[in-house]
Amino acid sequence: MSNVRDTALHSDESTTSELAADGVLTVSFTAFLVSWALLFQWLDETTTVAGLTVLRLLGVALVVAAGGLVATGVASRLDVVDTTPSPTAGFSAGVVVGLLWSIFGALLATALLGAGTVLWVSTALVFGVVGSLTSVLPREDIGSTVPVSLVLAVVGGAIALGRIDGGWSWDPAWLSAVVPGSELVPILVVFGSLLAVWSGAKARHGFGAQGREAAAFALIGTVVFGMLSVLALLIGFIVVNGLETMLTGATLSGGRLTLPVIDVTIPWVSFPFLTNVTGGLYVDVPGVLPATIGTLWLVFGAVIFAVPLGVGAAVFLTEYAERGRFTQVVEVATNGLWSTPSIVFGLFGLAFLVPRISGGNSIIVGQLVLGFMLLPLVLITSREAILAVPDEYRDASAALGVTKWQTIRSVVVPAAMPGTITGVILGVGRIAGETAPLLLVFGGPPYPSQTPDVLGSFALTATPPFVTNEALLAPASALPYQLYSTITAGVFPKDIFTNQEFGWGTALVLLLVVIGLYAIGVGSRLYFRRKLHHE
Amino acid sequence: MLQLLQEGHSGLSRRARDYRSRTADGAIAMHGLVALWIGAAFALFFSGSQWTVLPVVGFLGTTAYGWVRYQGEAAKGLTFLTTIVTVAILALIISFLLWRSLPIVQQMGVALLTKTQPAGNIWGANDGTVWSLTPMMVGTAITTVIATTVAAPLGIAGAVFISELAPTRVRELVKPGIELMAGIPSITYGFIGLTIVNQYFYSEFRTPTIGNYLAAGIMIGIMALPTIVTVAEDALSTVPESMKSGSLAMGSTEWQTTKSVTIPAALSGISAGILLGVGRAMGETMAATVMLSHTKGFPTPVFDVFAGYGETLTTVIAFEGGNASGLHLSALFAGGVVLFFMVMVLSVTSQFVEWRMEKKLRGER
Repeated sequence: MSNVRDTALHSDESTTSELAADGVLTVSFTAFLVSWALLFQWLDETTTVAGLTVLRLLGVALVVAAGGLVATGVASRLDVVDTTPSPTAGFSAGVVVGLLWSIFGALLATALLGAGTVLWVSTALVFGVVGSLTSVLPREDIGSTVPVSLVLAVVGGAIALGRIDGGWSWDPAWLSAVVPGSELVPILVVFGSLLAVWSGAKARHGFGAQGREAAAFALIGTVVFGMLSVLALLIGFIVVNGLETMLTGATLSGGRLTLPVIDVTIPWVSFPFLTNVTGGLYVDVPGVLPATIGTLWLVFGAVIFAVPLGVGAAVFLTEYAERGRFTQVVEVATNGLWSTPSIVFGLFGLAFLVPRISGGNSIIVGQLVLGFMLLPLVLITSREAILAVPDEYRDASAALGVTKWQTIRSVVVPAAMPGTITGVILGVGRIAGETAPLLLVFGGPPYPSQTPDVLGSFALTATPPFVTNEALLAPASALPYQLYSTITAGVFPKDIFTNQEFGWGTALVLLLVVIGLYAIGVGSRLYFRRKLHHE
Repeated sequence: MLQLLQEGHSGLSRRARDYRSRTADGAIAMHGLVALWIGAAFALFFSGSQWTVLPVVGFLGTTAYGWVRYQGEAAKGLTFLTTIVTVAILALIISFLLWRSLPIVQQMGVALLTKTQPAGNIWGANDGTVWSLTPMMVGTAITTVIATTVAAPLGIAGAVFISELAPTRVRELVKPGIELMAGIPSITYGFIGLTIVNQYFYSEFRTPTIGNYLAAGIMIGIMALPTIVTVAEDALSTVPESMKSGSLAMGSTEWQTTKSVTIPAALSGISAGILLGVGRAMGETMAATVMLSHTKGFPTPVFDVFAGYGETLTTVIAFEGGNASGLHLSALFAGGVVLFFMVMVLSVTSQFVEWRMEKKLRGER
């Protein structure tokens, strides 16, 4: 760039064209947000502002954005403003605009003219070709604004003039549902405003390489913003809906706690939703205690089963085995186990473990099946952790004359412990929420009235296997299973909650457990990483 | 081929000689005894015998004695055993799925996967002798396509954002957020889908049933998103900094570098991420089970995502597996086989693709 005036350094004073582009960006981002609010029904579509319904205003916004885009594009083409456009808008822009125009053409032909297959396909093709040509052939400042704003103007105009409004509906023959205008308008506006953001950001930064960069970043930023909003919404929904159920009857000092040794009773936190059983006659506030205990037992058993196996295999693969055919097979098998759908584990438990261990749904089969699912994760993470231990450690230990196994035991495994622990915690977070296999091998009655008494059920017998545990061989409930059975069961047995309210409460408890595990896992990873970098 | 076999054979015998000369006689006896106990325990367990406990006790005793006498060898043997168990679990899963789905294959033949007529009545028809998986395969295909359409572009955008655009502080916030999204239990997604998304489509779009492929597909897509973001982001961040710096030094913008250098270099990693995401979407069970209507049939035309049908391979197993028997159960196992092999192919392909990328980048370094 030989001309300093062309660089961004010069753009302190904003020109009219930049103002117009800024206006386009503001209008379209607002339209984007408003459309989502309409889709989520936070905003009623009959709301009127200055005599116009929201829907019509959205149409107006699209038209305004289209006007602004055309203005900046034309101003740039006539060299009224300083820009650095490329000779063409580029192949990808051509494809996008072409697709857009062909969809537009198809909708025009079917929805307005009621055309048959032959006609709408050919209309779509013609529109698509024309659209991509108009965007590719002219210089970039025209090619990336005018074709886009044409579409925006037509769609926005139809909405603004009330051709598509809340009462209008589209009922195509190939779709079993009816698309009402009140939903179609926000959907159209969401996509339209994304287009306007893309084109507007490009214009704002003077087209060319800079403009394309700004456009891409704006688009990606908006998409990621949307993604994080979805996450926030999901969690928000559960918290808002579940909090009331979870706090039913909860008080800070309503409960009584008797201290065991000195035998004094003091006021204590009372949290009936967490400390009560679900079914039973004498429960005023049904709770999720059996499910929580069940989840704890499941996770405990799975960890006891999977961690020694996974860590042992990881040690063998990294320390003893030579890299070759055998390690490759194990690697493929591990990744295969990792990607196997959870329901398939359930089927396997149903076919192999259930008939041989308990003859029906039981805690111990659930523990084993979840252990199978946890195993590959433990193996992969602890293997990575062991590989990350520097060879100097092993060499130093070997130089002292220590045997290989003692090196592994007192140097390698302790050094790899942080990574392994983090992996196990994250894996536990995953299996704690696992439901599908539990349906086949674990689940008991939907509203349990007692908690599984695993510790107290061990008994010695005279016949093999000599030690039995009735509770381990009986079905139980777990938090995710409780949620599923609450959803699918008919009517909640108590008046205090509906099924849905109880479900939201269970979902919140489950979410808290899982998020808690994740927070611990991520936190420990950060902690160990910091510690490693400080050393 | 023969040469390869011979090589493998000589490698094995060399290893056997090595093992023989480096291990004390007592330790060899211990290894042999442990192998014997484990074999016996598995055989007894397999036949459903109460006496399984005896070889287990024998194994524990031998190991405890061996641990005291030959700790190093005992540890090596035990870690080898755990590795074998890991592989054996997968082998057992495959063989049991195949074995249990044998009856329905004998009954139905290829029609198990291809039968489409009569459309409304091919699951449990003719007094429970006709079970065809075709409607569920179509359902799985529809939800997977919808989910991939939702998740792939968003996932790639998210990965590019995290690895290329975001300032360090934002990245440290967004990345755990995405991981958390992967950790939210699928049944929770399903519950939200059932109470909010399904109701929305039912009341606003007047769908014939509560629950449709589109709503379930979108929800599954949201669930598959974190997998794609994480794997694609890993791939993007393994592209050597020198490649990017080279491009930036030539005067290209950051976006040009990302678009023309980083993404092409990481393309195989990104596609591996998408493949894994597709696998997750295919195997996703609970959200779909709760959200779909469990009516089996073929939507016509096939892209009518609001048709009154809703059943996938995973949902039919989860929904009917608890109280099925005989041929019905066998058909469900066959569904599991189909699912397992599709996901396995995706997983192996993505591993191969990733391995190739690693090789390529290492070669250019």
